[in-house]
Amino acid sequence: MGAPDITSGAPTVVVTSAKAGIVKLKAGTAARINGILMFLPYFVLLVMFAIIPIVVAFNVSIGPSRLSPDGGLGNYLFVLQDFRFLPAVINVGLFLAIYLPAMLIVVAGLSLLLDTVNMKYTVPIRLAYLVPAGITGSVAILVWYFMLEPSYSPFAALFAEVGWTEGTDIFNTSNLVWIFALMAFFTGAGNWIVIQYGSLQSIPDDVLEAARVDGANAFQMAFQIKLPLIRKYLVYMLILVFAAGLQIFVEPFLISSSVYPGLAKDWSLNQLSYTLAFTGGNLGAATALSMMLMFVMITLALITIYRTDFFDEAVVRAKKGEAK
Amino acid sequence: MSATLTSPPKIVRRNHVKPREIPGKIAVWTVMIVFAIFSVIPMLWLILAPSKTQRELQQLPPISFGRFQGYVDSWNNLLVFQDGRMLDWIFNSIWYTAVQVSVGCVVAILAGYALAATRVPMRRTLLITTLVAMIVPQVAFVLPLFVQITALGIYDTAWAVILPGTFFPFGVFLSYIYFTSTIPTELYDAAKIDGAGDWGTFFRIALPLSKGLLGMLAFFSFQVNWINFFLPYVVVTSGEVLTLPVGLGILFSSTPALSPQVGANVLPIRAPEIALAGMLIAIPILLVFLASARLLVRGVLAGSVKS
Repeated sequence: MGAPDITSGAPTVVVTSAKAGIVKLKAGTAARINGILMFLPYFVLLVMFAIIPIVVAFNVSIGPSRLSPDGGLGNYLFVLQDFRFLPAVINVGLFLAIYLPAMLIVVAGLSLLLDTVNMKYTVPIRLAYLVPAGITGSVAILVWYFMLEPSYSPFAALFAEVGWTEGTDIFNTSNLVWIFALMAFFTGAGNWIVIQYGSLQSIPDDVLEAARVDGANAFQMAFQIKLPLIRKYLVYMLILVFAAGLQIFVEPFLISSSVYPGLAKDWSLNQLSYTLAFTGGNLGAATALSMMLMFVMITLALITIYRTDFFDEAVVRAKKGEAK
Repeated sequence: MSATLTSPPKIVRRNHVKPREIPGKIAVWTVMIVFAIFSVIPMLWLILAPSKTQRELQQLPPISFGRFQGYVDSWNNLLVFQDGRMLDWIFNSIWYTAVQVSVGCVVAILAGYALAATRVPMRRTLLITTLVAMIVPQVAFVLPLFVQITALGIYDTAWAVILPGTFFPFGVFLSYIYFTSTIPTELYDAAKIDGAGDWGTFFRIALPLSKGLLGMLAFFSFQVNWINFFLPYVVVTSGEVLTLPVGLGILFSSTPALSPQVGANVLPIRAPEIALAGMLIAIPILLVFLASARLLVRGVLAGSVKS
């Protein structure tokens, strides 16, 4: 942006060397005001629905409550010592240990495969990959219940092969982590394949042409050219998927409130937080748990921003613009 | 410059296939198609399920069609639940989401442009705050939002669901990236040299080039808000202000559809009925995607600045 700094709305076409300084100053002020006006609506929402809620919830978590009349960290200690806390951490940890690698391998693999074919031939396939995105949240529970319940499932014959003929062969405590990982994977994978395919498509043609001219075969193209170029998008996906996975709530919550009552009761951390707040009437402890999760999330976000290169370009650009 | 903007992107691809590449091609297509089939089966089942009766659902092949009358019967049975409560839920979901998407997108695109092309103060801090808000998932905010919404006095009203849904930091970031990278900054500079102000540049240069961006913003905003469960579940309780996804959760627990022990003799809501309710949530997401799919293709700007 080394061009002359005429950014105001006024028709300041005549910029003689004498007036240049003043015009530049006016233009800067106008641009600043315009910028503020454009940013303001979002800023109000940011303050109202992100910043204030966190501050208020934090105050509730360290405020006086039934369990810790003096406030302070009592609510936090209560949560950490709760008998349901550690099992929930383990459940969510196992869930992530299955879900994250599955996402990484399948999304990277399929988007690279899609990219080996001329894009006009893969339109129906890409549309098909986006279909499961419609099956999410409470609908995911509904559909996957029927997909997994042998008396309804299209895969019943397959299940029978491995000896699963009753609903309880599948829906039992030891399988829960797999069921939730399957649901989460299925809802998100297709979406991410299409997104990563999009980033592959944005690799400039001349880079690929150069590699091709140098005699790179399909595997070399995929692993030595394309994969390194979309590596950071994959890292970014993993961060978002981790953040969302850590917060898992709907799936275990709904399965416990209907088909198999209590099957996954307080299975995840957010369920525990919900139970503390709305069944136990202990908002202090619930917000304490919520704040602990928030702390993990914000730390993760800051690491992503400052310790990975994903946002470097964006942040540097903002800094440069600011310094001008 | 306008001439180069409209010229189609040049795509150089070689189409002839060498014989030794054929086994590889077959393997690639097999993997892609198998995954596509698995992607489609659950949705297909969901769409076909309401055409069958409860008995047929268990006896006919899972992927098969019953009768069109099945949809009508299932719909009528669904309406029995709390005297047509379904209609409220559908209506609420539609108008809540419409407000969330339109307000959310306008707010996000303006903020993204402000960060990208104007001199809004503290740009770096604002950008980083937005990035943090974007990475922290919505669910993490639910309990803090519950506290805030109660304090604001909008608990159990439509606004308790709608307002938080218009906060769309991912949209701001997408817009910011779009306005700093996909649209070449040379275009803004050119417009500014030509005397267009910030608003002029936004409306006459940036916005007309942002159809793809708007499609993406609307798509993501819709997807998040239309299916949102946890927040509405926590901040509204009255049947008449609930949304469809939360309503579906209520059907799970208070009808014999998935829990045969609940009111089996009173409510005619079984698997076909609940599948129809699920279908009503899932189908709009599909349709919205199909509508914006064309916009999601790259190439809108390819070649505009390439010399």
